[in-house]
Amino acid sequence: MGVDKPGVLGAGTPAFLTTRLDFVVNWARRNSLWPMPFGTACCAIEMMASAASNFDLARFGMERMSFSPRQADVLICAGRVPYKLAPVLRRIWDQMMQPKWCISMGACASSGGVFDVYSMVQGIDTIVPVDVYIPGCPPRPEGLIYGLMMVQEKIRGESLTRHGELRAEDPLAVGRPRADDQEVSDLTGPFGNSTQQNQVSGLVDTGAVGRPEDRLP
Amino acid sequence: MPDKGSVASAPDFSTVASGPVRSRAEVPEREGPASVPPGNPTVTALWEQFPDGVLRNRVCAGDEDVVYIDPERVTEILGWLHETAGQQYDHLADVTAVDYGGGRPIEVVYQLWSIPHRAALRVKCELPLDALEIDSVTGIWVGADWLEREVYDLFGVTFQGHPDLRRILMPENYAEGHPLRKDFPLRGRFSRAEQTRRALTQDPEDYYMPGEIGERTPQVVGSGADGGDDAAGSGAGVGTEGGDDGL
Repeated sequence: MGVDKPGVLGAGTPAFLTTRLDFVVNWARRNSLWPMPFGTACCAIEMMASAASNFDLARFGMERMSFSPRQADVLICAGRVPYKLAPVLRRIWDQMMQPKWCISMGACASSGGVFDVYSMVQGIDTIVPVDVYIPGCPPRPEGLIYGLMMVQEKIRGESLTRHGELRAEDPLAVGRPRADDQEVSDLTGPFGNSTQQNQVSGLVDTGAVGRPEDRLP
Repeated sequence: MPDKGSVASAPDFSTVASGPVRSRAEVPEREGPASVPPGNPTVTALWEQFPDGVLRNRVCAGDEDVVYIDPERVTEILGWLHETAGQQYDHLADVTAVDYGGGRPIEVVYQLWSIPHRAALRVKCELPLDALEIDSVTGIWVGADWLEREVYDLFGVTFQGHPDLRRILMPENYAEGHPLRKDFPLRGRFSRAEQTRRALTQDPEDYYMPGEIGERTPQVVGSGADGGDDAAGSGAGVGTEGGDDGL
């Protein structure tokens, strides 16, 4: 009796459809993103809230937080990253299988935030390539979900024929800084370049206090 | 209206002055055993026991006794505080340091707590910037190990006799100095690019070996699979052996 049952496209249509391979592959990828949670600070609390039932990240295909980088698709760096943790973050990124994406969640991960100090990485994009930056301190769960949906939009535009150029990785670059020295200086300026620093903490009067160009108008 | 003016000009502080909060101006620093305040019995006993080892003492924030001692005799005095029957400061709550900047000496702070007497005491040692060395108190309190490592890491104070004096918070290959010194620039001494490069050249596994975290007893894996017919007996036997090894 199931023989005469009409297909999804109506009676008389064949039980298959043709489409682009890119579309199918991207559809599968973007709807089954497994996040690798790299939560180091308060942003991780919001990330947990995003995965909990009120916001329910699983609605968008992030069904399972993958605590092994080898079964993860998208790295969510939630929180501040000190220099001591930088090689760990880089190693986890290197352990993730292609294709992989990275989300920098919150002000600290994206730019160092208020921690413009000696111990803090001024933006994880100097360590790993970042696809989506989520602003906020911390971002609300809606913000994280929106960022993940932006990753989905990015996947939608990808193509298997351009896979090599989009996702090429140099094996020699593993464990090395993502950005070269000039790029690191550009990314961290005007914050965090200690060679341009004119403010010395302590009771020694250096004659130069404050940096007017850093203040908001 | 005249009543209001008089109230504003002459506030009544008599109740405040008799309260528990004393400011530093009311309790000046005491120099010498002749001016020992009648408050803390431990401070009095220290003045009597070590008249030349105790430099001065003062009361901070109302009821917190601070004793400045000679850095040369830190293990002797702190050991006495730990061992003596009437003192028994058996809990070392914290070891830290303060740099007041301006070339002033760095103060190493020992925050003590006596569990049987429920009494706290803060002992400070002043170290000049050109001689940042002091004896370790790990022989008195084993818990001083990591605390002194932290002071060494962030202030550069060398603890003589420490069993394992190396950095604890900053990376092992950190070469910019000691960050909590007042003369340390806020963003470090190297450029961000150099800091990033140095951070990525370190290998965390070089510094966190399993031996440091604590040797784990090897678990017997798969013992239940080989003895499928006698799983309960073999499993119990292996578990007992494993427990003996672990203990």
